Amino acid sequence: MLLDDASRAKFAAIADRLIPASGKMPAASSASVQHAMLDLALQSRPDLTEDFTRGLAACSADAPSQSINALFREDRTGFNAVNLIAVAAYYMTDEVRDLIGYPGQESPAYDPHETPDYLVDGTLERVVRRGPLYRPTPRG
Amino acid sequence: MSGKTGGARRDEPVDVLIVGAGPSGAVAARYLAAAGLSVVALEQGHWPDAADFPGRKREFELAAQKRWHPNPNVRDLPRDYPVETSASDINPLMYAAVGGSTTLYAGHWTPFLPSDFRVKTLDGIADDWPFTYEDLLPSLEEIEREVGVSGLPGNPAYPPQRAFPTPPLPIGKAGRKAVEGLDKLGWHWWPGTNAMPSVPYNGLNPCVRRGTCMTGCPEGAKSTVNITFWPHAIRSGARLITGARVREIEVNDQGLATGAVYIDENGRERRQRAAVVIVCANGIGTPRLLLLSKSKRFPDGLANRSGMVGKRLMMHPFSAVLGVFEDELDGWMGPFGQLVESFEFYETDASRGFMRGAKWGAMPGGGPLGVTSFVGSQIFSAGEGGMVEDVWGENLHKLVARRFNHCLVYGIIGEDLPEESNQVVLDPELTDSDGVPAPKLLYKVSQNSHDMLRFHVARCTEAVEAAGAIETVVVHQVRDTGWHLLGSCRMGEDAATSVVDQWGRSHDVPNLYIFDGSTFPTSGGVNPTATIMSVALRQVRRLIAQRHLQEAA
Ligand SMILES: Cc1cc2nc3c(=O)[nH]c(=O)nc-3n(C[C@H](O)[C@H](O)[C@H](O)COP(=O)(O)OP(=O)(O)OC[C@H]3O[C@@H](n4cnc5c(N)ncnc54)[C@H](O)[C@@H]3O)c2cc1C
Ligand code: SF4
Repeated sequence: MLLDDASRAKFAAIADRLIPASGKMPAASSASVQHAMLDLALQSRPDLTEDFTRGLAACSADAPSQSINALFREDRTGFNAVNLIAVAAYYMTDEVRDLIGYPGQESPAYDPHETPDYLVDGTLERVVRRGPLYRPTPRG
Repeated sequence: MSGKTGGARRDEPVDVLIVGAGPSGAVAARYLAAAGLSVVALEQGHWPDAADFPGRKREFELAAQKRWHPNPNVRDLPRDYPVETSASDINPLMYAAVGGSTTLYAGHWTPFLPSDFRVKTLDGIADDWPFTYEDLLPSLEEIEREVGVSGLPGNPAYPPQRAFPTPPLPIGKAGRKAVEGLDKLGWHWWPGTNAMPSVPYNGLNPCVRRGTCMTGCPEGAKSTVNITFWPHAIRSGARLITGARVREIEVNDQGLATGAVYIDENGRERRQRAAVVIVCANGIGTPRLLLLSKSKRFPDGLANRSGMVGKRLMMHPFSAVLGVFEDELDGWMGPFGQLVESFEFYETDASRGFMRGAKWGAMPGGGPLGVTSFVGSQIFSAGEGGMVEDVWGENLHKLVARRFNHCLVYGIIGEDLPEESNQVVLDPELTDSDGVPAPKLLYKVSQNSHDMLRFHVARCTEAVEAAGAIETVVVHQVRDTGWHLLGSCRMGEDAATSVVDQWGRSHDVPNLYIFDGSTFPTSGGVNPTATIMSVALRQVRRLIAQRHLQEAA
């Protein structure tokens, strides 16, 4: 699904109501949610196309607050689709991920043979010393 | 059974037909084929392709909510069958593929404990199993070697046993935080045991803590039978037919199973004949198939003279407690998987007001989108008349700043006691994409489960508070958590009250077997796959040993 410039601008205005600038965090449109990340979000959720399209169509770029609030009251499914796509697109941008300290799902190196802290500092030893917890199989 | 070595051509009769290619079906296929029997397995799903799993992709969290959702009704894929759940408190979760539901499982490796096999003797409720923990232990130890379990030996929650084949995974910052609280309270904990090797093992790569286990492991590190069992089974001659939906098991005039009718990928109906049929389609798929297999001889469904097919469904109602901390906890890092487990309140203490207990698994909090929709529940709900901006807006930023990377989640798996009113039946209208009737669930969470979860939620809250949580969030009895499907074709020695005997053989049809979790008389308070695979191994060993005595059509 490819959106025209007007729809992208409208989406940006609506997304800014849901995700305004705050402290170090940029508003949705400053993080460019309306471009590549919007496309990626929609591409990965074709099931939302219909609700998103309907929801966005019901909104107005000139009265973003009024129209998103009306959508929330009158078409919750449409609202949820627009909201989820906006929030997801926002947290997929590099800029926002950098700011919140999220590198994405990564594969950090570790040494499986390294002795874990809990074996050195006596924490696990305390569990072992408290003894077995299980109830054994009754005999006979 | 002929014992002719594998390689049967399409539709040629075989020694053993297996329905379902998840863990239980894979255990059966691997050992039967290695023993020289000809084996065909029919699986409605396909081989999973690790390249399709979304875990390496930026849009991972969005995809997790639809295409890779564990609820088949949400995924809505043609290879799944839908489940009618309007009369159930819990939605069942599963996946159709080679590897079955473990394609999406979290890999918590928690074998049943000794008391789980003796509930009646010890606690005076429910039932004992026909065998004990000790009877099963050799099979468990063998399965653990094949699965490549990672963990630390010596857990005092369990009797002593053989060491795990690979060292434990790092518990990470979130795991250490959980330990802080449990240590302060003097409560049991142990580094998580997981079905994810920490070093290369039996075709698996080592787990690299990507943390996307529940949408499929893109690293080939989560232990699933498409990697660990099926390649061996196929090398020994087993034939696995995917895209094959079984709609009926047929019987002859003597009341013996003759094989199954299935619908292939092109919608064509086919027939696979076999001397022995083993159903491994899980606690919902198995009773569904038996109920679908009605005949003159078995008007109430196959192997259902006891009337127990479909009854006593257990799904482990689930609650979760999330602790938010000042410290950064690398909340997106895996395994996802259990970092730390606790069995402090596992055994019965009647003074708590309920029977049996639960195991806790400490997990990381997940990505930024995850913290805005914790365990599937909407975090924000605007009161009528409230402004959208007041609910999202600033709040969203605050919530993510506070919770993302600062959370630890305790998942509570509590024992679900068997009740005949909790059932799998056939829905009169709903069908799968091949027009085969879909199952319907009648399931209510029991008072015992309610009380148990309330108690455990309170203790988990104490555990995160002892660790210094600045905020706790409880999600009580989450609906989308029917990941353990057990009990609906109960095993027992009495043909009047059970469907199969301890070897998985049905009382009514001597060459029909069930090897999956539907045979469990009780559900334990732990994730069941370790026990499902071990029981299947014990049963298939017996079938192989007795094959010369096996009656067949
Ligand atoms: C999200 C999730 C998380 C989980 N986490 C854990 C965990 O951490 N630890 C744990 O121990 N367990 C976990 N489980 C449970 C675990 O996945 C199951 O216990 C295990 O997969 C059961 O194995 P099985 O072979 O009996 O059934 P399944 O794995 O469900 O396999 C049954 C197979 O039969 C096929 N089938 C069914 N009907 C038909 C038919 N009519 N024709 C052809 N094929 C059919 C299905 O497609 C499926 O592939 C989890 C499950 C889910 C869904
Ligand atoms: S945590 Fe380990 S098992 Fe899970 S997805 Fe990552 S690599 Fe795979």
